[in-house]
Amino acid sequence: MNSSSRQTVLSRVRKALGRDGALRDKPIPPAIEEPIARLVYSDIGLPELFQKRAREIAMLVEQVRIDELLPRIVQFLREQKCQKVMLSSTRILTNLGAVHFLCDNGIAARTWRQMTADEAYDMDAGITEVDYAVAETGSLVIRHRPEHGRLISLVPFVHVAIVQPKDLLPDLIDLFERLAQEGTGSGVTIISGPSKTSDIEMTLVQGVHGPNVVKVFLLA
Amino acid sequence: MSTPQTRPIDPNTEAFLKEAAASPFDFHSGSVKAAGDEQLKRQINNAVTPRDSARKLRLLEVPDSNKLRILAGQIKQHTLDNLDYYLEQLTANVEKNGGHVHFAADGAEARQIILDIARDHDAKRVIKSKSMVSEEIHLADALEQAGLEVVETDLGEFIVQISKDRPSHLIAPIVHKSRQSVATLFSEYFKTPYNDDATSLTKQAREHLRDKFRQSEIGITGGNFLCAESGLVCSVENEGNQRQSVSTPRVMIALVGIEKLVPRMVDLAVMLKLLTRSATGNAITIYTNLYGGPRSFGEKDGPQEFHLVLVDNGRSEILAGEYRETLRCIRCGACLNACPVYRKIGGHAYGGVYPGPIGALITPLFEGLAKFKDLPQASSLCGACYEACPVKINIPKYLIQMRRDINRSHLNGRGERIVYRLWARAFQSSLLYALIGKFQKWDLRRRAHGSGWVRDLPKVAAGWTQIRDMPAPAKKSFHEMWRSRRFESMDSQTDASAGISPSPGGRGAEGAGRSRGDLQ
Repeated sequence: MNSSSRQTVLSRVRKALGRDGALRDKPIPPAIEEPIARLVYSDIGLPELFQKRAREIAMLVEQVRIDELLPRIVQFLREQKCQKVMLSSTRILTNLGAVHFLCDNGIAARTWRQMTADEAYDMDAGITEVDYAVAETGSLVIRHRPEHGRLISLVPFVHVAIVQPKDLLPDLIDLFERLAQEGTGSGVTIISGPSKTSDIEMTLVQGVHGPNVVKVFLLA
Repeated sequence: MSTPQTRPIDPNTEAFLKEAAASPFDFHSGSVKAAGDEQLKRQINNAVTPRDSARKLRLLEVPDSNKLRILAGQIKQHTLDNLDYYLEQLTANVEKNGGHVHFAADGAEARQIILDIARDHDAKRVIKSKSMVSEEIHLADALEQAGLEVVETDLGEFIVQISKDRPSHLIAPIVHKSRQSVATLFSEYFKTPYNDDATSLTKQAREHLRDKFRQSEIGITGGNFLCAESGLVCSVENEGNQRQSVSTPRVMIALVGIEKLVPRMVDLAVMLKLLTRSATGNAITIYTNLYGGPRSFGEKDGPQEFHLVLVDNGRSEILAGEYRETLRCIRCGACLNACPVYRKIGGHAYGGVYPGPIGALITPLFEGLAKFKDLPQASSLCGACYEACPVKINIPKYLIQMRRDINRSHLNGRGERIVYRLWARAFQSSLLYALIGKFQKWDLRRRAHGSGWVRDLPKVAAGWTQIRDMPAPAKKSFHEMWRSRRFESMDSQTDASAGISPSPGGRGAEGAGRSRGDLQ
């Protein structure tokens, strides 16, 4: 049934377009004119713009030096009263020995490799490294992959993200060009603020099915 | 001039409503009822008017929003014009990503495909995030009839589901509900004390749905865009429920209409910039999800199996005809928020899955003009929808074309057709036109009794004054004013244009009354 429906729909579409068979030449889509579509041009001031925009969409942003990163994370987790924390098994966190540091400071931390996916639902916070961040919108971009589970940035009430300045992109156009070139893995999530709804009488409520706190540490 | 009065619904409307209730769809009874419901109107206005303003403000961030909308319209139009090519490209790429692609010629096939997948996996529970196509094909009913537990996970849709209601807005499904009614609903459903604080209500739903997410075999989502070049579905949300569907269940099904395609990844950047700005007045939604296959080797979360169900269900037919442009729609809801008719009657009165101006256009296309012949009339043709549309669908133009179709296919009454014929005749003769116009003006001014407002019109036109008063026409018609102005200042263009710009107060209102008479 499946393949016959495929033929049915495709031939209907072709008929609708007045064609007998498949197109011989690849159609050429309209050119994306940058002056029309692009909102951020410059590479200068990206950290500043990113911070501004991220704050506008209710993310907490802080610029830190790499040697301050872990102590600041610990301090923040204590402020948020997070006991159980999971970390993506990604480069910076691994190289800095983040799990040991957190455990030494009395936080029950585990890496994504050390746990099952279902255990994520019991965690208070998730710490991730992003692949890109977009200055235009203040967004965090994460590629799904084995060392970086999808649930880390989703199910706990607190999401902590680490952004490197080299991963800042000016505009969404740059992001999608990069993703087209470098691939998307098994999927990509673009995060632009804490989970929210305004379904009930337009009242804004934060923290629906995802985190209600998103903290970004932008490395200096 | 006296102010217009708000009046209770006419007593004879009662009889009208009863009579209308017997027929399967009647736009008039629904809209009359809704327009008479002050609370509903307030609710809808409170929800959509700020969104409409927010959209306009946010679009000012774009260098030239009109050019960007033209570009977005061109991208969608190009894709539609080459849809066969992009469907094949998409299919090949989803399969390359390890996903399964199913084509469904109609709603029945789409439901069957999804039921078969559920049966193959012996599934008992399905978590569903918002999808207009699933509403279109009545998926939830079909799954429930087959014995599956279907959980709507978008907060608004969850509330719609447990109150056995229908969504009334494309992106804000419960604009018609008050906080108090949600609180009553929750206290009955969860058997908890009444609490009408929006934060507490949301938290209650979060806790309830969390366990459902954790133990569900199948996740179903819709999609805002399909990218042919990468084989990915792009879908946006604010709550995180869709991310749950992409992360936890073993099997994931994306249910998307074939018209949602765009060619390249970079096209998504253009579309996203417009979609959220138009929908809610934000620069971007909280979550933008890109997915299109099973989890990769070594991943602990994400679906083990991915299915993309591409739904035709009448779309190829629309593609063939002169309404192809309507398939550009990205379901942002901007035309609803901008529409003076939607603001007065809400979404339910439109009778179909898609409300508002775009619904008035595509519901008859999807479900038959005969059944929904009233919908193309549900517009004042003011053009606010066209002005709001991020992909530049000329909704007023197509609504007029559809009115023509109704007339041509004799779906309207014989009397109406005769009136149109006479009307057309009158419009072709300047003498007749002027005479009829003069008579109409004299008659309306007579009925206004010098108050400036016409309260009661006779039978054929009674609808005009059933709910509100109609401003009486000005003493001088536009033509007369135009003529005298032209003679006053033949040499000055600016003077002439000053004469036609509506001034606040009397002349503006009277002018509006006249043009309405013309459009009738």
